[in-house]
Order: sequence, then C-alpha cells, then structure tokens
Amino acid sequence: MKDLDRLRTLIKEPVELVLNQQIKMEMVSSSKYLAMAGWCDRNGYDHSAGFFYKQSEEERKHAMKLFHYLCDQGATAYSPDVPPVGQEFDTLRSVFESALDQEIAVTDSINRIIGVCRREGDYATEELMKWYVKEQVEEEYIARRCLELIDQIPADQVYYLDKKLASVTYDENPFEDE
Amino acid sequence: MESNVPVSYQEVFSTDKGVVYQCDRTNRLILSFWGSTTPLSARDFAQFRRMVSTVNVHQMALSTDTADDVEILTIPRSERCYVLTLCEVIHLRELLNGASLMLELNSMLRECGCATLSTLG
Repeated sequence: MKDLDRLRTLIKEPVELVLNQQIKMEMVSSSKYLAMAGWCDRNGYDHSAGFFYKQSEEERKHAMKLFHYLCDQGATAYSPDVPPVGQEFDTLRSVFESALDQEIAVTDSINRIIGVCRREGDYATEELMKWYVKEQVEEEYIARRCLELIDQIPADQVYYLDKKLASVTYDENPFEDE
Repeated sequence: MESNVPVSYQEVFSTDKGVVYQCDRTNRLILSFWGSTTPLSARDFAQFRRMVSTVNVHQMALSTDTADDVEILTIPRSERCYVLTLCEVIHLRELLNGASLMLELNSMLRECGCATLSTLG
C-alpha cells in the first residue's frame, strides 16, 4: 500500500502542527512589537519606536519563512488568528522587559520544535530551525543589553538613552559567519 | 472488505459504522460512513480528521440549546456535508482516528524497510 502522506509531503503531522503554532507565535510577536512601537512613538521615544517597528517586521518575516516552507514542502500552512495584544505600558523599561519575555518564550518554543523534529526524524526541518536558534541568541542578547543600558544610563538622559537603545546590535554573535 | 468495492480499494480501517479504504490507483482515501462514500486526497483527509477531532463534544453533551444537538461538517473540496449527532461524531472520530493510526503504521513500516500493510495481508 502506498504511503500517501509521504508522497504528499516530507513533513509529518506533529511537525506541521508545531510549525503552524510557531507561525502564530511569530505573528503575535510581530503584533506585540508593533504595539510597543506605537507606545514609544506616542511617548516621544522615536529611536526606540524605530527599533520596534523593525522588530515587528522581522517577526513577520520569521513567520513567513515557516509559512513558505510548509507550503513548498506540500504541507498545510494556516493563516493564524492573532488575538488582541496590550497597547499600554507603564515605562520604557517595562516595554523592554516585555520584549525580553517574548523573546524567551519564542526561544523555548523553537527548542520544543527541535525536540519534536528529532522525535519524528525530520532532519530537514531541524536544519531549518537551527537558523531560528541562532536568531534567538541574537534577539535575547539585544533585549538583555537594552535592559542593562536602561539601568546604566541616568534617568535624566532620556534622549541619549532612547538613541542608544535603538543602536544595540550583536556583532559578536558566535553563530554568525565571519 | 465488502464484495462490491472496486478491486483497487484496500481497507485501511473499519468499524461497525464505516470503512476507510485507500485506492493506490487514484491516490485517494475513500471514506464510507453512514451510507455515503467520499474520495479524499491525503491532505483533505488529514484536514477533515482535524475538523472532526476539534468538535466540542462536551458542549454537545451538556448544552440544552437545540443548535448544539447536531454538528454540521463540510468535507473539504466536496459538495457533501455531514449533519451529525453527538454519537455519530464519536463514531466518525473513532473511524478517522483508527484509519489515521493505520496509515501511520504503514508509513513506519515503509520507513524501516519492512513490508507494508497490504503485503502483511
């Protein structure tokens, strides 16, 4: 008897399920970052707003990368429902704390997906997810560094802080190619 | 297997209420349930199974609202739909989950280079 599912796609159902959940998570992240960008914009933190607008776009790209992968491999990608996200924050610090929480949740989710890939023997998807692992190392570093800067820069230097936060990058990422 | 089914149909799983066959000639899974027969692609079969497994049977069992007495399920890419009572949803779920398990077993046998379900007889 033919294996019709295998003829259709190389992706097994449990992997398809977790990848669709990840698409949703990335889209929710994108929406949360957009809300953070909006808050920063209306509170005069223009540079931080720019940083979060960019983050929002990046999260959407992460989702689309998985979406295209599922479609290209013959699996089914679902356009996710994105629930309402919080629009208000107490302080600039709380915005960045939320960003770090979100990145940690994404990292944990990526790690779980790799666990599922290994259980299902799906080495192709595992290889794809390694890109996300490296990306998360960078994302978490940036969010943590921003919180450090908020602690280090005096509260009266708001403009300088805002400018500095938006310029944080991870140039020394050990997973990046030389 | 019933005697009037085409020779290309191989039984995947059956219960008292229905049968799922696989046709290797057309690459279709054939769902035979409550007297109706519907050919489905592997993708549509998986989608329909997910649809059936997400029916809120607790709501159907506990609600006194007449709207919750039946569930209307549209088969993907088909003009047919099922209007099912709680018991029928459970029967259909049992059939689809059983078939899915057997397809998974077939897949595992193929992956490890063993005989597939049909050759096991």
